[in-house]
Amino acid sequence: MGYSELIKNFDKIRDYMREFYVYGLKSREQYNKKSKRSYDDEKRRIESYLSEYMGFHQTADGKNVYISVDTRRMSHDPLYKAWKCASFTDGDITLFFIISDILSDPSELFTLSSIVEKIDNEYLCCFEEPKFFDSSTVRKKLKEYELVGIIKSEKHGKTLYYHRAENYNFNNTDLLNFFSEASPCGVIGSFLLDRFEENEDAFTFKHHYIAQTMDSQILYEVFDTIHKKQETEIITVSKSGEKIKQTVIPLRVFISVQSGRQYIMVYRRSKNRITSVRIDHIVKIRPLRTVYDHDELREKLDRMMPYIWGVSTQSRNSRKDTVEFTVCFKDNEQYIYERLLREKRCGTVERIDKNSARFYAEVYDANEMLTWIRSFICRITDISFSDKETEAQFRADLETMYRMYGVDK
Amino acid sequence: MFFNEIYSAYYKTVAQIIKFAIASPVDAVKIRETAKKYAFSESPFAIETAIKEQRWQLILPDGTTPLKSFSEIPVTLLQKRWLKAISLDRRVQLFDCDFKDLEEIEPLFTEDDYFVFDMYHDGDDFKSESYKKNFRIILSAIHNKDPLDITIKNRKGNESTFSVMPERLEYSEKDDKFRLLTSGNRTASVINLGRIESCSLHVGEFPDISSCRTAVRKRTVTMELVDERNAPERVLLHFSHFEKRAEKLDNGRYRLTIRYDKSDETEILIRILSFGPLVRVTEPPAFVNLIRSRLKSQLRNLN
Repeated sequence: MGYSELIKNFDKIRDYMREFYVYGLKSREQYNKKSKRSYDDEKRRIESYLSEYMGFHQTADGKNVYISVDTRRMSHDPLYKAWKCASFTDGDITLFFIISDILSDPSELFTLSSIVEKIDNEYLCCFEEPKFFDSSTVRKKLKEYELVGIIKSEKHGKTLYYHRAENYNFNNTDLLNFFSEASPCGVIGSFLLDRFEENEDAFTFKHHYIAQTMDSQILYEVFDTIHKKQETEIITVSKSGEKIKQTVIPLRVFISVQSGRQYIMVYRRSKNRITSVRIDHIVKIRPLRTVYDHDELREKLDRMMPYIWGVSTQSRNSRKDTVEFTVCFKDNEQYIYERLLREKRCGTVERIDKNSARFYAEVYDANEMLTWIRSFICRITDISFSDKETEAQFRADLETMYRMYGVDK
Repeated sequence: MFFNEIYSAYYKTVAQIIKFAIASPVDAVKIRETAKKYAFSESPFAIETAIKEQRWQLILPDGTTPLKSFSEIPVTLLQKRWLKAISLDRRVQLFDCDFKDLEEIEPLFTEDDYFVFDMYHDGDDFKSESYKKNFRIILSAIHNKDPLDITIKNRKGNESTFSVMPERLEYSEKDDKFRLLTSGNRTASVINLGRIESCSLHVGEFPDISSCRTAVRKRTVTMELVDERNAPERVLLHFSHFEKRAEKLDNGRYRLTIRYDKSDETEILIRILSFGPLVRVTEPPAFVNLIRSRLKSQLRNLN
C-alpha cells in the first residue's frame, strides 16, 4: 500500500512526536528502533500535520528534526492535530455519510433491510460503478455507531429499528476553549470545538505542558480502569527499550504542572505497596477484573498523601525522612515567606522573625524535595535532613555549583 | 473508540464538501480549498483524488451529491463523558453554562480520580461571586473588543483604576490564576484577576490602541546539561513549553537554548537553579552573573 498521511494506530507516531517535541536531538540514523523507511514516513506525516512548528538543524551526525512551540503564544495545542488523522477505508467513509443522511431525523425509525435498500437505491445507484455493501457490513457499522453513541436501536416486537441519537446541543465555546487546554484528555474538547465553524478564542496558557497530549489515549484508558475499579495489566517501556509487563490496580492519576509528567499511583498486590508508574512510559493497558478492595486502597493512598512530596512512596530507610531548612529575607522581600506557604506540598512553615522562616516536613522521600529547596539558593541559612546521604548530596551539589560558576570561598 | 476517524480532519473536510454540494455543485478547486482549510498539507490532493475516482461515493462527477440534507453528527458518548467530567470541575462555575440532560452520563473522570500535586496553594478564588462577575465581564469585553475600567488593589492595599483594552485571559495551571493581558495602558499590561476589585465597561472615548500595544520583550538563555541523574530528559521536558533548540555536544553534554519573556526572568533563574549542578548557564554573561550572585549570597549564608 502506498503512503498515506493517515494512520491506523496512534502508537505509530507517538514516539516520534515525543522525540521531535521534547528532545529534537536525534538524526535519522540514530532512530534505530524501526526501519529508516518507517522514520521517513512518520516524519513526513508529522510534517504534514505540524510543518509550521517543525525545523531542523544540521549536526555532524546528520539532520536533527525538532518541533518547537512557544505554548504561551498559542490558544490551542497544535499537537491535537495528530489525533485527527485516524485512517479509514473507502467503504467506511462512504457508509458513514450515507447512513448519517438516511438517519437524519431522530424520530424516524429504520430496519436494517430498509437501510440497505436505501443505500443501494437512493445513493450508490447514482455512481457509474456502485459499491456494494451487504447487510452484515451495514449491521456491523450500525453497531459501531451505536457504541460511539451517535445512533440508537430499539426493538419493536421481533424487529430491530435504528434511529439517529438526539443531538446534545452544547454551544459554550468559551468553556470548550478553556477546558480543552486546562483539563485532562483535553483533546476531546478539541474534537467538540471542531464542530464549530467560527471560534473566537479569548484564552492563552502559561506553563502549558503539551507533551502530555501524546499520552491522551493511555490517560483515557487509565481513567476508565480507575472508574471501573479494575486490576490491570500494563506494559511499560524502559529507557533501554525493554518491555515490562506488570499487574497493578490503578488508584489515582498524579499530574505535575511543573515538570510536564503524569503518573498513575498504583497498588501492586504482589508487593503489597502503592507506587507510581509514569504514563508516558506505558504502551499498553489491558483491564483484567474488577477488584473488591479498590475503595480501601484509595483510602490508604489518601492517608499516605500528606507525606508524598512528588510521587515517591519509599525512602532509602524504612522510616519517613525529615527535612528542615531556614530561609532569610529582607524587609521588602516578604514574598519569600509567601512562596514557602504557597509552594509547600506538605509540612509546615514557621515564621521565626521578621526576616526568616523555617520549613519542616516529614516525607517518604526527601530526595524528591531537592529541586524545590535549590530554588531558594541564596537564602538558605540552615538545612538538615534525617537522611544523611540526601544531605550530603545537597551540600556536594552546592560545592559543585560554586566551582562551576567560579564562586570563591 | 478514542482514536477514531469520525473525529478526523478528513471526515470534517468531507462533511463540509457535502454541505457545499447540497447547496450547489462543487468543483475540484472548491474541494482542494476546503481540504486545505480543514485538513493537513497533503490532504487536498488525497481528498480530491478519492472523490474524483469515486472511491468515496458521496460526490458525483458533476459536483452534486445524492445526499439530501446535512445534519450535524450527534455529540458522541466519549464527548458527553468528557463534558460531564468538566461539569464537575471547580473552575466550571466561571462559565455561565448549563449541562442539562447529562444526568445519566458517567463522567470520564472526577476530581477524585486525579491530583495535581505541585499546583500552588494561593490560586484564585473561583467561588467568589465578585470574581465570577469580573471574569464574565472581561470575557465578554474581549469578544466585543470593549475597553474596560478596572480597579485593582495592590499588595499594600492601595486602589488604582486603569482604562484598558482587554486582549486575552491567560491561565497558569501551576499558579492556578488568571491574568488579563491588555493593551492601551503600559502601566497595566498584565492584571491579576485576583487583584481586581471592580471592573466595568469604559464609557467615552478610548485611544487608538494600535500604538499602545506592549511588545513582549524576549530574551534567550543557553545552558549546558550533563548526562547524569536523568538530567537531559528532566530538563528538556521541564522547559519543553518554551520556544527552544537542543543539541548534543561532542563532550557527551547537551546544549539547550530557550526564549523567554523578559518579565519572567526571575522565574527562569529559579527554575534553572533548581536543577543544581546538572545545568550550567553559559550565555548570556548577564544571566551567568545573576546565578553567580545568588551563589555568592548562598555561600555567605551557609558556610
